[in-house]
Amino acid sequence: MNGRRRVVVTGQGVVTPLGTGVDRFWAALKNGECGIRQAQSYSTEDLYITIAGEIPDFDPKERLQSKQLLLADKYSQYAGYAAQEAVAQSKLEMPLNDSDSYRSACIIGSGVGGLTTLEFSYKMLFKENKRATHPLTLLKAIGSSASAHVSIDHGIKGPTFGLVSACATATHSIGLTYRMIREGLVDRGIAGAAEASLNWGATRAWQAMRVLSPDGLFPFSKKRNGTVLAEGAGILMLEEYEQAKARGAPILAELIGYGMTADAADMVNPSIEGASMAMQMALDDAAISPSDVDYINAHGTATTVNDINETRAIKRVFGNAANKLSISSTKSMHGHCLGAGGGIEAVAAVKAMQDNFVPATLGLNDPDPECDLDYTPNVGKEREVNYAMSNSFAFGGLNAVLVFGPAPA
Amino acid sequence: MDDVATKIIEILRKNMKDPSKTVLLETPLSELEIESLDLAVIVFDIEDTFGIEIPYNANEEVEAFATVGSVVDRVKGIVAETKASGAAA
Repeated sequence: MNGRRRVVVTGQGVVTPLGTGVDRFWAALKNGECGIRQAQSYSTEDLYITIAGEIPDFDPKERLQSKQLLLADKYSQYAGYAAQEAVAQSKLEMPLNDSDSYRSACIIGSGVGGLTTLEFSYKMLFKENKRATHPLTLLKAIGSSASAHVSIDHGIKGPTFGLVSACATATHSIGLTYRMIREGLVDRGIAGAAEASLNWGATRAWQAMRVLSPDGLFPFSKKRNGTVLAEGAGILMLEEYEQAKARGAPILAELIGYGMTADAADMVNPSIEGASMAMQMALDDAAISPSDVDYINAHGTATTVNDINETRAIKRVFGNAANKLSISSTKSMHGHCLGAGGGIEAVAAVKAMQDNFVPATLGLNDPDPECDLDYTPNVGKEREVNYAMSNSFAFGGLNAVLVFGPAPA
Repeated sequence: MDDVATKIIEILRKNMKDPSKTVLLETPLSELEIESLDLAVIVFDIEDTFGIEIPYNANEEVEAFATVGSVVDRVKGIVAETKASGAAA
């Protein structure tokens, strides 16, 4: 690796429709459970899309240590919990001392930030004719709220902000933090994203785009008919390897590769070129060959175009090695968590390596003939996973790919 | 051409790259250079104009959206259904 600084994962945290906390999440992925249900938290009146991936077990008072976060939007609360879990697992002592605090980053993005807070405030203004909104509306709604809260919680004083790239947000956040550590700007960082945009108005907006499925998320299947919206958070604790080792941190995996591209073509139709270039860049950065990769956690949204395009892109990059890969779209279980998706899926990829187990793609009895790789249909399987890739391809043609390898020997 | 057809063609024209093209009932939508996102906008506009809801999913091949005439027929059908259910209520 030419003496460059190495970056390791020392902690992970998630909030997902399969449950809160990495242990619960991973057990559900291994069991092949599905977190997509009839929506409960908002009215589905007049909607024809009535299913979603909502968090079943998140009571903020029980989950959160910080009092300030109890007043925040749900998306910041999810980020707050996931960060808390990742930091606890890393055994890093918080708050950090002064010199360490400025050498730490907190990059937590969100596709749309506090959209539900805005919807509520507009309802109050335009429908209930209230004269003012709740005084915290703005602080709850802004897309940098989650990163600010987490930096306050853990005393992080270095680079702190949210970044935005729709459904690639978490992956870009993790990739950027990885590069900042590698280039020596910081020594550690909390990175990922959170999303909590399920509400009546947002569902209306998604419905109008005509890309949602009324009955389930079935990636790579002939019967697939769209994606299913979900919410949650996925966060990694990343550290420079030598310092993590010196303090005896638990090292879960090494983050070895990151690729990012833009299609520069179309807002909704992805290109094979953009996706395959991002995967290739991540492999080049990792300095491994395609045949080294055992598992790909696919973007796999179950829209007609994504799944075929992603399959073709994988074939272009991996060539013959594509047939030896285990691939799955865990979205079939946790739904499309939008900006948070890449963070949750990165956790799934790291767990697959730790446990040598590839989670399944549910609902795949009858694959689309044009999707002809091994997507681990319906039942997960034991398999040695040394290297895992996690793909995120967002609206607008924004692509980000991570590659994880084993903890350094 | 009746009122529904005229209105629908007007909506299509708004979303065509070249609105001067001839649009007949038998013209396939594919000939109008309408892309998937345009179609979502067109469906929205039709729903708004006629006060109806059209169950259209971009992930499925929808027969009812093959030609201009088939869209017109589908809209007429839904308008009739909507009126009937309104009368019943």
